[in-house]
Amino acid sequence: MISNQKSNRASGALAAVLGAVLVLAGCAGGETAGDDINDPLEVPNRLIFSVNDALDNLVMKPVAHVYKESLPDPVQTSVRSFLNYLRTPVIFANDLMQGEWGRAIETLQRFAQNSMVVGLWDLAAENGQHFHNEDFGQTLGVWGVGEMFYLVLPIFGPSNPRDGVGLLVDHFLDPLDLYLTNTHRTGLQLGRMALDGVDTRARFLKPLDEIEKTSLDYYATIRSLYRQKRADEISNGKPGGVKMVPGLTLDDDQPTTQTSENEE
Amino acid sequence: MFARRFLLAVASALMVANSALPSRASAQSPMQDGSRTFVEKLADRAVATLTIKDITEQERARRFRALLTEAFDVPAIARFALGRYWREATEQQRAEYLRLFETMIVATYASRFGEYSGETIRLLDARIDDPKLVTVMSEVFKPGQAPARVDWRVMTDSGSYRVVDVVVEGISMSLTQRNDFAAVIQRTGGAVEGLLVALRDKTKQFE
Repeated sequence: MISNQKSNRASGALAAVLGAVLVLAGCAGGETAGDDINDPLEVPNRLIFSVNDALDNLVMKPVAHVYKESLPDPVQTSVRSFLNYLRTPVIFANDLMQGEWGRAIETLQRFAQNSMVVGLWDLAAENGQHFHNEDFGQTLGVWGVGEMFYLVLPIFGPSNPRDGVGLLVDHFLDPLDLYLTNTHRTGLQLGRMALDGVDTRARFLKPLDEIEKTSLDYYATIRSLYRQKRADEISNGKPGGVKMVPGLTLDDDQPTTQTSENEE
Repeated sequence: MFARRFLLAVASALMVANSALPSRASAQSPMQDGSRTFVEKLADRAVATLTIKDITEQERARRFRALLTEAFDVPAIARFALGRYWREATEQQRAEYLRLFETMIVATYASRFGEYSGETIRLLDARIDDPKLVTVMSEVFKPGQAPARVDWRVMTDSGSYRVVDVVVEGISMSLTQRNDFAAVIQRTGGAVEGLLVALRDKTKQFE
């Protein structure tokens, strides 16, 4: 939890708008990973999910396949490295807003090292400083804003109001993105987004196929994975995320919709 | 210049502190050491017996099932995955569910060992979460990629060890399974039978 002062200072003019949005949506603290599906919009969510999935099968997956098969591995590594490099200001700003000084310094050091090769090669990772990602959705999570409810966004996929707001705020934390907006270079802006999307999709070709094949309810499994992943990202992998364990959790007879509230 | 040096100094101090703490604190209890050794042996055995390229998929599945039932508490995981619906299930449904669950786990994971490509595991410290529960932390290295965090949750009981969950980068396999099953049951009218139908269908080709 963080004081109102700090959040105001950090997000400046956006704070008022954001605050209103978050208060309206009811900001329950903490991340819930458990039985609470917290998905009041499940019907429209499933609909958007299936549209996204159809688009994925029609466009993203084939493109990602071509990208993966035709580009040599070192080039793909370079693309990822460069995209991560461009994201540095967003990561750094969020590191700071989360009070993660050590990680903020690491972000700067990585930037300094990788600047020597214009970000086309991740030198820093080879020296043991691996890339870490941050976004404003995570920052809000660190500040104690809950996910509110599960939300599937068109194109962007699994999300929630908090992380959706985060996406928007990250745009304003990204000098390159702002510059491209202000100079009406929409093509470059979309190009970067598309490349990021294709590269990410290419990395998940196999895992996602596996999950789709082995899960009974693909939608529910993705919802579970997204929620757990975000909880882990917000805590930066610190232990204590998963509290429910086979053999210890004796809640066979608890109603599923109330479990996580009871645990808080 | 000064600022950069200062930052570097702070950063390296932080890094040393981070890396030194766990290894120095390694005067661990027998329960922690035992769990750690158990996971180490399990990983070694999995690599030695399951990742061989020239065995049939049936043989791989057979070996995986043997390792699974020995090193994992499959009934506890299955029961957890069914959540509150375990209570509602009849004896007959429970028996069928346990059988289908094991088959499904074998079908889901066994073939993945055939795609092994030189990953290595490094065991980190073990943490006591509960008088009976130890989490053994590890890193899995894949050539050319950042290491993946893998937590092994081990139930210990008077010298015996059983894995009850594997948590990869914060994602619990058991919890994911439970969420998946709950969704199926809720969407098929809230009864266990709906899940059994789906599981029968899913495992048909493997039985």
